[in-house]
Amino acid sequence: MSTAILSLRDLTVDFGGVRAVNQVTLDIQPGELVGLIGPNGAGKTTVFNLITNSIQATSGDILFQGKSIRNKMPDAICRMGISRTFQNIRLFPQMSVYENVELALHNAPRYSILEAFVRTPRASRIEKETRQRAFELLEMVSLKDYVHEKAANLPYGLQRRLEMARAMAANPSLLLLDEPAAGMNEDECNDLIKLIRQIHTQMGYAIIMIEHHMNVVMDLCAGSRIYVLNLGSILAVGSPAEIQSNPDVIKAYLGERRNVR
Amino acid sequence: MELFFQQIVSGISIGAVYSLLAVGYALVYSVYNFTNWAFDAFMAFGAFMAFYAISLFFMPFWAAALISIVLTIVLSVGSERLAYRPLRLRKAPRLFMMISAMGANLMIVNLLNLIFGGSFRRFPVDAAKPFFIGNVSIGRMDLLAGAISFAILALLWWFLYRTKPGLGVRASSIDIMTASLMGVNNDAVAFIIFAVTGALSSVAGVFYGIKYAVFPYMGLVTIKAMIASIVGGLGSLPGAVVGSLILGVLETLVAGYISSTYRDLFSFLFLVIILLFFPNGLMGKSGDEKL
Repeated sequence: MSTAILSLRDLTVDFGGVRAVNQVTLDIQPGELVGLIGPNGAGKTTVFNLITNSIQATSGDILFQGKSIRNKMPDAICRMGISRTFQNIRLFPQMSVYENVELALHNAPRYSILEAFVRTPRASRIEKETRQRAFELLEMVSLKDYVHEKAANLPYGLQRRLEMARAMAANPSLLLLDEPAAGMNEDECNDLIKLIRQIHTQMGYAIIMIEHHMNVVMDLCAGSRIYVLNLGSILAVGSPAEIQSNPDVIKAYLGERRNVR
Repeated sequence: MELFFQQIVSGISIGAVYSLLAVGYALVYSVYNFTNWAFDAFMAFGAFMAFYAISLFFMPFWAAALISIVLTIVLSVGSERLAYRPLRLRKAPRLFMMISAMGANLMIVNLLNLIFGGSFRRFPVDAAKPFFIGNVSIGRMDLLAGAISFAILALLWWFLYRTKPGLGVRASSIDIMTASLMGVNNDAVAFIIFAVTGALSSVAGVFYGIKYAVFPYMGLVTIKAMIASIVGGLGSLPGAVVGSLILGVLETLVAGYISSTYRDLFSFLFLVIILLFFPNGLMGKSGDEKL
């Protein structure tokens, strides 16, 4: 058995007649930060959806910490330690910034409704610890001043940060970031690179990041690997430098010249 | 003037009972986007259970009500397991859920009719002795129904807005898929919602049975709660309460000053007028702000 935290084994999914993900096999070690890139429609987000079992794989297997999670419910997978952000922000817009984070804090010890109703000292203490944990996470993504704001009222960039805080609240050992830099300008991208690097070193999560901004991927994955997905299959794996000079990757991104001499 | 106050109090009381049902509709709708027509049957079932607990087993009123609540919760949660969960897991369109709910409703109501018979029964509690405040007489059961209904609504509000499971229910009402990806157990949320709405329909059934009568088709009154929750804005809990109170007061005023024959006519007219000016209901925000 490998020590990988996540292993995909020949993972395949068909949507009707379309094979969206085709025999994807990869291993992520604990604490690694790897990139997942590819042209639009390559199946990157589908891979994330398969890992969290938002969609059912047609064949293949997904091992998390050595155990198959193919038949687990999404909420169970989250509580086991895989959490994610979304390409299109999917916060709970009518709830406050704090509530968005609180929702995902599962590791707080539980207390019964009855304890909450009569406010036993234990319930109050746990509530206080939960609040403290949520504040720490919000501080980390610089959202501490917006605690009671409705999530919908945050500007776009901060909503992305809130999604990250929410994903961290689930206390994952594997974090899936789906295009964290989408729609950001260069300055914002640089801040984001700093933030992701900080999260990575401080929390020690393994991270898989889907990203289109090449400078973000190349920067963050400098010491590790990038997987390139094209038409549902893994086209190439390698360091940023290898990927950048790989002729297949260039062809997939830019297309082929029709009349090559 | 006394008549007016009497009607207002009585209207608020019946409105509070409607609001239990309307909130039940809103709660199910807010998370699952379908109307649980089986409420109708749960309400009648709850009333029957309390009725027989008192008339056959001579239980005190509160114990009978408690038994009725527990049994209705079992029925409600059971119907979710049998009729809705298989559809939900297969991601069936909500129309199928609605048809499934109608089927459950027809089945339970007709079973009640078959087992207990269709006659009208007077609820065996002494509701006659009225209170007097000045010259205004208030039925004791009206007062009890109003007070308990409001207490239950307050408790529900506290649960939804002040507890962790309540937070999970609210998140699911906004986006059930994202909630589950954030670790909220969908099955647990379904259990909570159907247990809560079962309890609500049982209490409403008992109070409605006391005010009018206990019979298998008594649940038809849930159409009023449906009107109230549409008037308030489908899926909005405060809207459901406000809509119910307005409807309850309107009905008793019409019954008192015009004629009880025209009561339902006015209820539907009221619905039409509200929808003409507020297509999403009074507090519905185009379906996205639900709780």
